[in-house]
Amino acid sequence: MSEPATPDPEADALFEIVRQRYGDRLTPEQLDEVRKIVQAQVEAARALRAMRLTNADEPMQPFAPYRAEP
Amino acid sequence: MKADVLFTPLRELGGLLRTRKLLPVELAELFLDRLERLGPRYNAVVTVMRDHALSQARRAEGDIAAGRYRGPLHGIPYGAKDLLATAGAPTTWGAAPYKDQRFDFDATVIRKLEEAGAVLVAKLAMIELAGGMGYRQPTASFTGPCINPWDANAWTGGSSSGSGAAVAAGLVPFAIGSETWGSILSPAGYCGLAGLRPTYGRVSRHGAMALCWSLDKLGPLAQTADDCGLVLGAIAGPDPRDPTASDRPYRYDAADRKGFRFGLITNVTDGCEDAVAENFTRSLGVLRKMGTVEEVTLPDLPYEQITRIILQVEAASAFEDLIESGGIAELTAPEDRHTPYARDAILAKDYVKATRLRGVMAREIDRVLGSFDALVAPGRINEAPVLGQEFRSAIRATAKDVMGAVGNGAGLPAVCVPNGFGARGLPTSIQFMGRAWEENTILAAARAYQSLTDWHTRHPRVG
Repeated sequence: MSEPATPDPEADALFEIVRQRYGDRLTPEQLDEVRKIVQAQVEAARALRAMRLTNADEPMQPFAPYRAEP
Repeated sequence: MKADVLFTPLRELGGLLRTRKLLPVELAELFLDRLERLGPRYNAVVTVMRDHALSQARRAEGDIAAGRYRGPLHGIPYGAKDLLATAGAPTTWGAAPYKDQRFDFDATVIRKLEEAGAVLVAKLAMIELAGGMGYRQPTASFTGPCINPWDANAWTGGSSSGSGAAVAAGLVPFAIGSETWGSILSPAGYCGLAGLRPTYGRVSRHGAMALCWSLDKLGPLAQTADDCGLVLGAIAGPDPRDPTASDRPYRYDAADRKGFRFGLITNVTDGCEDAVAENFTRSLGVLRKMGTVEEVTLPDLPYEQITRIILQVEAASAFEDLIESGGIAELTAPEDRHTPYARDAILAKDYVKATRLRGVMAREIDRVLGSFDALVAPGRINEAPVLGQEFRSAIRATAKDVMGAVGNGAGLPAVCVPNGFGARGLPTSIQFMGRAWEENTILAAARAYQSLTDWHTRHPRVG
């Protein structure tokens, strides 16, 4: 398995979680691919983290309390 | 039976059926024969529903003869992407692990189309699990790559691949597809069709495979924008079995409109193939005959990252059992056998941040769209990809698709229609994206565009 071109401790740590969980079912080539995908995910997350939000900016998700009728 | 009804717009086809110049059973037979004879050529079909279709067609024929006409889809055959549950036929989700899966009920969309008198003739091929596992090649389906009727060496696009191929080849008059990010507009655009992605919540998803609960939409692929409106009129509406299905009333309005206001995102053709950009520029000339075109700059937000992270996390959760069990090893595309594991590494806080930014994105884009009837852009950045090659995808961050990220992330409606041909002779397209719940506005714009152009009247040589 090859090392990433530029060390990224966060991506490395997150990749290690994946490797611990699923490494026994993946080939070295697949693990290489997974490492690249994790790196891309981390970069996407950084783009989100760079955005400032206010306390009032809620998740845009549907949720409603449930009560069976009648 | 005349072959010239193969590509007849639904309104005209419906008129022939209503006046009994054409009979539902003979029409169903025509398309069933084509599905059985030509469907394998395109890898477009999973299941031909001959007995079911002829039963529905006979019922339609009797009802129409008795004066019980249900509307413009009565007696018209259609195909459904094979992620919609149908009693009496397998529902494979395009994936080997589910190839024998059966449900004992019909998806709401299937039920609504039956109520409208439409005739279900086939379950259509699709990319495995609607592409949610990160596929990057056309072969990612247990039924093989869907072949574009315009060119045997080209892909149809995905994930509603069979829906695109079947309509373009005249195997069905219309089809139902689904879109999480691009899965209706991609095959419609690559196959020279009209494709409508409705507003999120406009159409019930009950009985449809869940890929991403907050992104999945169902909509039609057909020959024209008017066709799409007629189908949406039949399938839209509330459903107690889908809490996200809106109770906002919808009635398709086919009245002509004039004086459109179009917005054009700055640099929207960046990254497009030359022919796509040229065709789009020519389309803008047509749009200027229909109204105004004004350039607009979107606020600086990480649109693609927002939608991508939501998609990746929801898809990983929707298929948690398959992924955790290692069942993804049975998927067809090699990349689908390992990509989902990486999603365990997306942090919960980042996902929630994406859902919070989604609200900002939705408000900002609505503010921009408030000045326009639609934002316009090329439907796709390229002609249909070549079979046997990897393609670029915004979902994997190998291509840009701001319109797709914003439209799907904010749940906005969009319709694409053909606008020319590219260097390889394959269709290109233009898309119109509107404010939430403004399907009638974007359909009116697309219809007006089609009234001034004839790209939708050209069809591949199929046989």
